[in-house]
Amino acid sequence: MPRPDERPSFEPFPLEPGKTYGLMAVVPARTPACETRTEEQVQAWPAALVRELLLFVVTILVLSLAALLFDAPLEGLANPLHPPNPAKAPWYFLGLQELVSYSAFWGGVGIPAIMLLVAAAAPYMEWRPGGEGVWFHKSRSAANWIFLTVVGCLGFLTVVGTFFRGENWALVMPW
Amino acid sequence: MSVRKVPTPSGTDSTRAGLGPTMRTLPRRLWRSIFRSNPLPRNELERSQAVANNFFFHIPSAKVHEHTLRPATTFGLGLISLYTFIILCVSGVLLMFYYVPTPEQAYDRMLDLRGAVFFGTFLRNLHRWAAHAMVAVVFLHMMRVFLTGAHKPPREFNWLVGLGLLVLTLAASFTGYLLPWDQLAYWAIVVGTSIAGYAPLVGDEIRFFLLGDDVVGREALLRFYVLHCVVLPLFISALVGLHFWRIRKDGGLARPGRD
Ligand code: HEM
Repeated sequence: MPRPDERPSFEPFPLEPGKTYGLMAVVPARTPACETRTEEQVQAWPAALVRELLLFVVTILVLSLAALLFDAPLEGLANPLHPPNPAKAPWYFLGLQELVSYSAFWGGVGIPAIMLLVAAAAPYMEWRPGGEGVWFHKSRSAANWIFLTVVGCLGFLTVVGTFFRGENWALVMPW
Repeated sequence: MSVRKVPTPSGTDSTRAGLGPTMRTLPRRLWRSIFRSNPLPRNELERSQAVANNFFFHIPSAKVHEHTLRPATTFGLGLISLYTFIILCVSGVLLMFYYVPTPEQAYDRMLDLRGAVFFGTFLRNLHRWAAHAMVAVVFLHMMRVFLTGAHKPPREFNWLVGLGLLVLTLAASFTGYLLPWDQLAYWAIVVGTSIAGYAPLVGDEIRFFLLGDDVVGREALLRFYVLHCVVLPLFISALVGLHFWRIRKDGGLARPGRD
């Protein structure tokens, strides 16, 4: 190891006006800066940003149209003495409410907590490279099947809770 | 004392001239003080500058990979999540001008929005549907990330940030659900918060902490209002900032063919 005063000193080179200078370093990683095929990069303006702004306009238009066509529900004034039968949570919690009807602890606390923990652990378990940026990559089919099964179950329970549960949480037909 | 030279259209030295040139060059100097490059770029250099010098465009990077631009890479779901959030913030602030978070007034204010406020129905509808859309789209965005393997290293931490955003989005939607103070709102929150009571040991404490009371009432309405209008949007904004910053630090969106 050379001592600091033994380091070679560099002559500052003449800076040209109108140019920007940056300090570069070689690191053992594959970042876009090290990409050899830089020709696959395009300027964000206008290609990406125009599309992004367009998507914003479309989102606003679609939601505005929905707001013009469909009115948000408003029922009678809240009355703590008259519970509706059945009382339902918002739709995104109806899968959990359905589970709660079997087991309060597991449906309300246990299963949601496990799902969150497993989701958080997923990229740390499935850590070997491969299949990034590709839909349904063959090498990841096991992970994708597990994921889709869990999502499918949650979706199924949500549909049951939303449409097929009536008075006293009994199974009913929606028609 | 040094005086900066301001170029005038005619090319004359304006430092010695009087009020005339000062006023003549003022609009141009004012424009230049705000925009340091051509907002309608004509070449590659100006195009990079247009991005690098713009506060909003500085969040994405000046160059993107072609794979990122393909619609089927993301279906724009992350961006739509952001856009629904922005729409919710704007329409939500407008709603705050009319809303009063007390059991006596909240429901009346809903009726006012429908009957007396100009565009009130539209505003409430927009906020409501955008909220449902945000929950659905954030979930779909999470599905697209997983199914394209975009959560794998080096993006695992951004996946965790995303999970935080999912929980916050659900919390924001849930706390907003109570505010109309109608039967639908009231009983959905009674059902939802009773679930918190099933947590072992501290369940009842958590429930009391959320509601400020043993039942859903005045304190719960105030707490949900503050969480919904201030606390949760602030946390979501902060995490969205972290989320986008991390996308850049992780080298842009996940794409194939790097190994
Ligand atoms: C308020 C909620 C959210 C917003 C506004 C948001 C926004 C975005 C945006 C704009 C992107 C760029 C790519 C795209 O559009 O898909 C992105 C990427 C990403 N998001 Fe989110 N997101 C949110 C929630 C989530 C959730 C719930 C997760 C997962 C649990 C997540 C994980 C990720 C990951 C890992 C990436 C990188 C993807 C890649 O490299 O291809 N985000 N997010």
